[in-house]
Amino acid sequence: MSAGESGAALTPEALAELRHDLRTPLNHVIGYSEMLLEDAADPDLSDRRARLEETLGAAREALELINATLGVARGAGAGEVAQLYEALRGPRGRIVAAITALLAGTVDGRDGSFSDDLQKILGAAERLVPSGAAGPVAPVARTPEPAPARLPDAPGTSQARILVVDDGAENRDVLRRRLERSGHGVETAEHGRRALELLAARPFDLVLLDVLMPELDGFAVLEAIKGDPALRDIPVIMISALDEMPSIVRCIEHGAEDFLHKPFDPVLLRARINASLEKKRLRDQEMEYLREVGRVIEAATAVEAGTYQHGALGPVARRADELGRLARVFDSMVLQMKAREGRLRDQVRDLREEIEQARRDTKETPLAVDGGNLRTGERLALRYEIQTVLGRGGMGTVYRARDLELEEVVAIKTLRPEFISDATLLARFKDEIRLARRLSDQNIVRTHDFGEWSGVYYLTMEYVEGITVRELIDTRGRLGVSSTLAIAAQLAHSLAVAHEHGVIHRDIKPQNLLLDAAGVLKVMDFGVARLAERTTSVTEAGLVLGTPAYMPPEQLMAEQVDARSDLYAAGVVLYECLTGQAPFQAATVMSLVAKLLTQEAEPPELLNSEVPPALSALVLRLLAKKPEDRVQTAAELVQQLAPLG
Amino acid sequence: MTKILLVEDNEMNRDMLSRRLQRKGYEVSMAVDGRQGVDMARAGGFDLILMDMSLPEIDGWEATRQLRAVPETKTVPIIGLTAHAMAGDREKALEAGCNDYDTKPVELPRLLAKIEALLGGPR
Repeated sequence: MSAGESGAALTPEALAELRHDLRTPLNHVIGYSEMLLEDAADPDLSDRRARLEETLGAAREALELINATLGVARGAGAGEVAQLYEALRGPRGRIVAAITALLAGTVDGRDGSFSDDLQKILGAAERLVPSGAAGPVAPVARTPEPAPARLPDAPGTSQARILVVDDGAENRDVLRRRLERSGHGVETAEHGRRALELLAARPFDLVLLDVLMPELDGFAVLEAIKGDPALRDIPVIMISALDEMPSIVRCIEHGAEDFLHKPFDPVLLRARINASLEKKRLRDQEMEYLREVGRVIEAATAVEAGTYQHGALGPVARRADELGRLARVFDSMVLQMKAREGRLRDQVRDLREEIEQARRDTKETPLAVDGGNLRTGERLALRYEIQTVLGRGGMGTVYRARDLELEEVVAIKTLRPEFISDATLLARFKDEIRLARRLSDQNIVRTHDFGEWSGVYYLTMEYVEGITVRELIDTRGRLGVSSTLAIAAQLAHSLAVAHEHGVIHRDIKPQNLLLDAAGVLKVMDFGVARLAERTTSVTEAGLVLGTPAYMPPEQLMAEQVDARSDLYAAGVVLYECLTGQAPFQAATVMSLVAKLLTQEAEPPELLNSEVPPALSALVLRLLAKKPEDRVQTAAELVQQLAPLG
Repeated sequence: MTKILLVEDNEMNRDMLSRRLQRKGYEVSMAVDGRQGVDMARAGGFDLILMDMSLPEIDGWEATRQLRAVPETKTVPIIGLTAHAMAGDREKALEAGCNDYDTKPVELPRLLAKIEALLGGPR
């Protein structure tokens, strides 16, 4: 960053911000004055009217000045801005005078709201010129406003604390008076030791240092200042009667900012002091900027560590520049993220409660150990010891078994031989299983292995201790909106992962959705439904899979099945979760299929008034007959579900 | 009486604009940030919304988008108030779903004309 030219053009953003910062208080002056004028229609109040009109006139004059300097099409420089501030003093003074006079005439108690409004006008007038740029005004109650945009100070307006070190009393006095007239705070020291004492005691923005002094001369003081980390950054201007290059060179080599010759030229003195102060201000600003960048980085670390508190970036977020914007965006993103995490936690908690409730409601059914072809204790492929039957489906039986090789519990699904009747089917099925095995996600039941043992084809899978969404719906009737959303989000996520890997499930239904005790949804049978693909006719589909309720029209018609077919099935599942019933019901498979192909489902919100319209609409969109009318991808579904949670 | 919702975080702007609109015969309710603005607007009953664009919690653009996304506030006229007369702010406000926009500081006669235009003539 360079020291910046005082005449440099301001950016359009800075100008717009400045225009706003100046016009807002003026608008307050005008607005309140106009209201008070409306109230002062009474002929007895002509004095009051005159002063309010004077106020309005001055405010309009100020507005014209602002528009003339900071008009949208113009690019004003810092110098012009400084002149504008100077020019605004006139109208501002008239406003303050008129309002102060009006305030003096008010009586406490009787003119409560009138004097309140006058105070507001006075407060607004105070904000019209940055502090330090104008004479004193009557103390008023201020409304907190955002800090105005930082601008180069107008010449002679920056107040600094300056230390003058000179052994000549007259020099000290001249410098003190000149500097104080420019609005600076001045302290003096008559020799070097005193100067170092003062510097140690309080902060200064600038030191004017005589070179030739008794006791401790200027060079020694300069060395002491530049050698002290706490003082090093205070600019020092050397003053010297010695009009000699070697002396000047020595000062600069010792770290002096600048030098001045005695006797002082007042214009040069002012210019050099302002230049030094401006440089220091820019450097301080840069340091502060770097510190605040550091705060943003700290905040990012805190977010990662989970210790970030919303609003911790407060001071940075109030900055008017890009860093402030970054901090604000960062802060609000963290807030939204936390809110979303909170909502997800709530949903999972609700879901767990539902699962526990369902568990209590389900009577422990004695497990049929001899229901399948395999018996308890029997060993499959010399490796898996059968424990119990977990379930039976259209394609085969599922067992819980112990993997003796790896000493862990697995699920084994045996497949009815008619599904793998020829080599082509078997090869296609193996391809599908190979793909499914690549899926590794917490919401997908892992497929381990596929094998054959004395004529029995089997699949081994991750064993999940949990209940199916089918059981949950059957015991609870319907699930809450929050629980459904928790299921929906996880189901959509698992489909997004699978589809990304090119795996279409083809048989999403509540029976295939497992919930563990922590509320984590696991989708099973990825790849398995491919077995049923050979069925091409509707009746056969019905026979094979029990019910076509979860099949989209294109699957029923044996047309091209893609990711959107899974989304349709997901829609049916969500519909059932929300309403406790499938979208279409019929006594026979054929009439069900007819309904599936021709009828529109009733909106879930009509069956369950707790369902928000947006969720209801989303479910219906998943159930669209034509794939192109549905939500197009599972990833998109994840996104659409997010704001509903 | 015509009901206006004023969403504005600056206390003095809120005080002044609400009083001036009340003097013109409007019933004015106030919200101090975007979230409250959305909640109040959705609770219903407003003929028009004046929405400051730079607001805490959620900003005016986002608040407007949210209001446009739900049936109950889809058609309520919204005038966006933007602080900076920067090129592009108008488009941004209209894109978010504002029917019109005005720059702050507000000039009352100009704003009143816009309000009346949206409400279909002076009331």
